[in-house]
Amino acid sequence: MAIVLPDEVVRLLSEKETVKVLATTDEKGTPHAAVKQTLHLETDGNLVYLELLESSQTNKNMVRSIWFNRKIAVTLKGKDGLSYQIKGRPVKAVITGPVFQKHYVDIRERLGDVDLAAVWIIEPEEVFNQTYPERKVLEESTRLYFKHLDRLAKPSI
Amino acid sequence: MPVTLRKQTEEPGFKEITRQYPDVPPLVILKIDVQRRGVCYTHRAISVMDDSIHQLRSPYIFGSRDAQLKPLPESLLLRDGTSIIVDPTPVEKNPYTVDLVDDKLVLVDNGEILEEVEYWPKPDYYNKKTSSGILMSYIVSARPQRLNIFQSGFCHFWKNDRGCLYCDIVTHFKQQRDELGIPAKLSAGDVSETIQEALKEPGRYTGICLTAGSDTRGKESFDEEVAFYIEILQAIGENFTTKKFPSQLIATAFNEKQLARLYEETGLLSYTADLEVLNEDLFNWICPGKAEWIGYQEWKKRLLKAVEIFGRGHVSTGIVGGVELAKPRGFTNENDALKSTLDEAEYLISHGVNTVYIVWVPKPGSYFRDQQNPSLTYYVRLAKGIHDLRVKYGLLIDYDDYRRCGNHPDTDLSRVL
Repeated sequence: MAIVLPDEVVRLLSEKETVKVLATTDEKGTPHAAVKQTLHLETDGNLVYLELLESSQTNKNMVRSIWFNRKIAVTLKGKDGLSYQIKGRPVKAVITGPVFQKHYVDIRERLGDVDLAAVWIIEPEEVFNQTYPERKVLEESTRLYFKHLDRLAKPSI
Repeated sequence: MPVTLRKQTEEPGFKEITRQYPDVPPLVILKIDVQRRGVCYTHRAISVMDDSIHQLRSPYIFGSRDAQLKPLPESLLLRDGTSIIVDPTPVEKNPYTVDLVDDKLVLVDNGEILEEVEYWPKPDYYNKKTSSGILMSYIVSARPQRLNIFQSGFCHFWKNDRGCLYCDIVTHFKQQRDELGIPAKLSAGDVSETIQEALKEPGRYTGICLTAGSDTRGKESFDEEVAFYIEILQAIGENFTTKKFPSQLIATAFNEKQLARLYEETGLLSYTADLEVLNEDLFNWICPGKAEWIGYQEWKKRLLKAVEIFGRGHVSTGIVGGVELAKPRGFTNENDALKSTLDEAEYLISHGVNTVYIVWVPKPGSYFRDQQNPSLTYYVRLAKGIHDLRVKYGLLIDYDDYRRCGNHPDTDLSRVL
């Protein structure tokens, strides 16, 4: 089920300093994670990933994902340390037509002599705050046993 | 010819086959079945067809199941980018339906919506004319990412009634010439001019494919066919900065000297010579012209020679998948047909000659017009079998894949290689 991404994630996706990592799996389930700065949020709430290489492992894994209804994950890390993970599914590979051609022209204006293999449309289904300080507070408040005792010990006199 | 038509309701359908073959993508299985059974369009679906943005049926080398040249959508696209190259089909033949539901075009079977589809986008050059006054869409037709050049619609094997038995090339050529005024033979100038115009559309095309009927004439047999291809390819090449450009020629099996000329004198990158059926006895029956002028074993030898010239991964042969079961002389059961075909495909692939198939559609203008193509199971196993051989021998099929062609279910699977 598609979700609406929080404003904080929308901001992260729009900032060019944000590092974006797309994680996919191959036919054996082996993960493949790669930095993909050609990923952005579309106005309809879906993620758009511009794949520049037809033969890339990510592209092959994306094909398998759309074929066999498998999830992918996108991790974002902002300039301020804020980090989120989005899980979703590729629902469309646009390889021709006006949308494809618009992105083809745009990406070549931005990056020079590159090609465009596909415009992947990814529907977000889950989002998680992965920022360490926030994850730490959450774990310490909900998983009371997950800590080393020395962290709780009184300072020795 | 008396034939027994199988009732399609007795066979496992799309849903059942997706359960039986969980490792084959349902989208590809659906494509196969749509090609196998054809489509019809509802009035609602046709009401959103727009000639200014959608590609309507353009000149093609072969005819369609309805034997008509009506302005209908050229074909369909699935959401993974897979093309379904499919003909309008009379309702009585039990085709899939393309309908408009909630403002979306969908494939429907037995009242159930199976998938969303799109019409193909119209090329910018389609309404333009060459300086000689011919509509450019009559010179070069398009697929979503490919340009097709059918330089001559006549096949000389038909001169003494030895055309391939599944083929309607000459019937269709005459229909297009008479009803639309499609030129019988293209001029190199018109082709070059049209390619130049097509290339103005950024991001639209990734390959050029040439094919035509066989031309037996020449000092050595087929010299005239080769010379015409060279002329056209050189004219196309005028539009590129590099000598070689992504291209495929689907032609007769030429001899070594002719193949070398094609490779050395043009920008051609890949070569295909279709055996059509991978069995010598059936080849002799189904393709009597090819058998008469070249022969099955010699055709294979020439394909292997082409690998030496064009390189591994740049040579292939096409088959009309399922025609090996044609009556009365074809295989009588699908298991035997599949084993025989895949055994021969393995020999070819192991020697660097790719094998691809199209779904056999018995066309009204062909000798086999009253026959029935095989089951969906057969075509799924054939696609998987050929793809698995490609994986086994590490043979790429980049020039004839889902994007550069879109008409071979086996190469749809190979887009992940």
